[in-house]
Amino acid sequence: MTLLLASPALLLIAVVFGWPMLRYAWLSFHAHSVLTGLEPMANGGANWLRLAVDQRFWLDAGQTARFALISVGLELLLALAIALLLHQRWRGRGAVRALTLLPWALPTTMMALGWRWIFNSPYGPIEVLARSLGLNSLDLLSTPSITWLVTVFADVWKTTPFITLILLAGLQSIPEDLYGAFRLEGGTPVQALRSVTLPLLLPYILLSLLFRLAQAFGVFDLVQVLTGGGPAGSTESIALYAYFNGMRFLDFGYSSTVMLAGFLLLTSLILVGTLLLKSFGVLRHIDP
Amino acid sequence: MKVRRWLATGALALVMSLGALVGSASFRAEEVSILMPSSFTDASADLVKAFNHQHRGRIHLKLIRGPLNTESISDLAISSLLLGDAPFDALLMDVTWLPKYAAAGWLEPLDTWFDRRDQEQLVQGARLGNDYDGHLYRWPLVADVGMLYWRTDLMDQPPTTPEELVAVAGRLVESQAVTNGFVWQGRQYEGLSCAFLEVLKGFGGNWMDTSSYTMELDTSAATAAASWLNDLISEGVSPYAVTNYAEAESLQAFKAGDAAMMRNWPYAWAELQKDDSRVKGKVGISLMVAQQGQRPGATLGSWGLSLMRQSQHQEAAVEAIRYLTSEAAQRERFLNNGYTPIQAELFNDTEMLKASPVLSDLMEALNHAVVRPPTPLYAQLSDVVQRELNGLFTDAGSADEAMATSQKLSQTLLRATGATP
Repeated sequence: MTLLLASPALLLIAVVFGWPMLRYAWLSFHAHSVLTGLEPMANGGANWLRLAVDQRFWLDAGQTARFALISVGLELLLALAIALLLHQRWRGRGAVRALTLLPWALPTTMMALGWRWIFNSPYGPIEVLARSLGLNSLDLLSTPSITWLVTVFADVWKTTPFITLILLAGLQSIPEDLYGAFRLEGGTPVQALRSVTLPLLLPYILLSLLFRLAQAFGVFDLVQVLTGGGPAGSTESIALYAYFNGMRFLDFGYSSTVMLAGFLLLTSLILVGTLLLKSFGVLRHIDP
Repeated sequence: MKVRRWLATGALALVMSLGALVGSASFRAEEVSILMPSSFTDASADLVKAFNHQHRGRIHLKLIRGPLNTESISDLAISSLLLGDAPFDALLMDVTWLPKYAAAGWLEPLDTWFDRRDQEQLVQGARLGNDYDGHLYRWPLVADVGMLYWRTDLMDQPPTTPEELVAVAGRLVESQAVTNGFVWQGRQYEGLSCAFLEVLKGFGGNWMDTSSYTMELDTSAATAAASWLNDLISEGVSPYAVTNYAEAESLQAFKAGDAAMMRNWPYAWAELQKDDSRVKGKVGISLMVAQQGQRPGATLGSWGLSLMRQSQHQEAAVEAIRYLTSEAAQRERFLNNGYTPIQAELFNDTEMLKASPVLSDLMEALNHAVVRPPTPLYAQLSDVVQRELNGLFTDAGSADEAMATSQKLSQTLLRATGATP
């Protein structure tokens, strides 16, 4: 009976998720490019062998993971602080709450285009400011060791509100009397944060982490517009590499392989994360 | 009474539908649409109007205004072609797309419509980059080559060798006559490959032999070319910022009077003669520098019209292509928009020469046109070079390593894609 009731949802998942995944898997065992006249031709595991020794893919995988972990980590810390602040009662809170959401409401492409001009050298405002302070040119978008931090910055700016929103909802679900009781027992606000707020907020934190990690790992539009993957490929993500292979190089076999490999990497990343959390006993609060 | 009203209404409806039928039969013109970057649709608006007036009732031409950016419009075209039912009959194509699109089977050969006589009327540079596998797939609309822009108020002659360029630029920067010596396109994108190819030719090198898929990127000439570009930045002839410059940024710097020389396409000339230009009337154009005894190269960047294989209106579309590339159309586009013509004759035309003092320099550059490797894998191979060169400019490392890596990665790619065993 349960299965019957769930079947429409399962069918939907099978159609919009299962089928494309199977198709990717199938394509990844075929040569399908301009050289084959855009016809799929089975080539065994050649694509996967190519991927295994493709330095660029592994470099991109490392860069993508670095980007995802650091930006989501920063977003979580910032969002927690902002959510706690916005949960307090003070005048003008409503207006500030609305304002905090603004970056998230903007389309990523527009936002990325904006940052590209702001960080532009030598005509962007940041460069002009640096020069007027007597500093050297910063070249934020053309220095491989720095540019990835700019993408992290832009991502944090844009998606912190998303986590804030989830955490704020979580905070509002914590009953006020718990804090009252805690105060009665003589607990300080810092202790309350540790023993009441954080444990009860944990499911929300994990939920937002899951959402954001999956999203950040598949980052595409931000880097495509802000840096195009440069300089020297230092900001290229797995999704961008898959896109280049597919749309620009018309090599759909390999593009599917890259995409699928990215998906497998993400899945294992989340699996490892879950296992780690489990072994530390963090999940016992929310396990049914 | 009622019956009469019925009859009257019926008769009226009959007459109207008959009229509509007759009307649509005689006025149903064949719809032809062509996808182009917005700059080209804007520059062709008058031509389209004239064409539709001339072909009234027969052909109705519609230009689809695509994105300005080369890669964006390629993505758009490819997306619709992959879906199998592209909403355009012809496409304005960049020279580098052709082998890829032709190999994908999206293009209809034009051999039946354009013959040798048509080809012989073209200026040298415009004859290149239109063929694939022995068939003509593209008819040029504008000629386009990379050139060296130089300031006539800062030097008497443009430099012709790499050494001269460095010496002149160094002198000018040292005497503070100008902030930067030479601006070009060093960002990790296609423009860098174009700039590199010119310098590579100037050093006597070659990118690859496309017939045998032999890469020639680790030759001493290629390494010398990469090293020269890198030294321009490290020795201050070019600002570090060129590592993130595309055409627009270079033009901005040169137009503001901040640079003594610039590598750019012909369109820049008209921009530099506008009233907001600080170098108006002080600019000359020349060929990219080349070592003594080497023939200078000018990277071909032309646009041309291709016919889609699946088009239902091929004859009509070819008629539109002919019109848009006709001598009259070229003249109009040159005089109004500064687009370089493709017909050799027009370069000696008095009216055209009067309008532009640089027409003969353009012709000279077109005679030195070099094409980027015409292979369906070009985008991938160019990507490798862009990454390695931009990495060389922005990170520590040597030109030797960068070019050896380019060579190795390109060969790996050729093997992985099955182009070479």
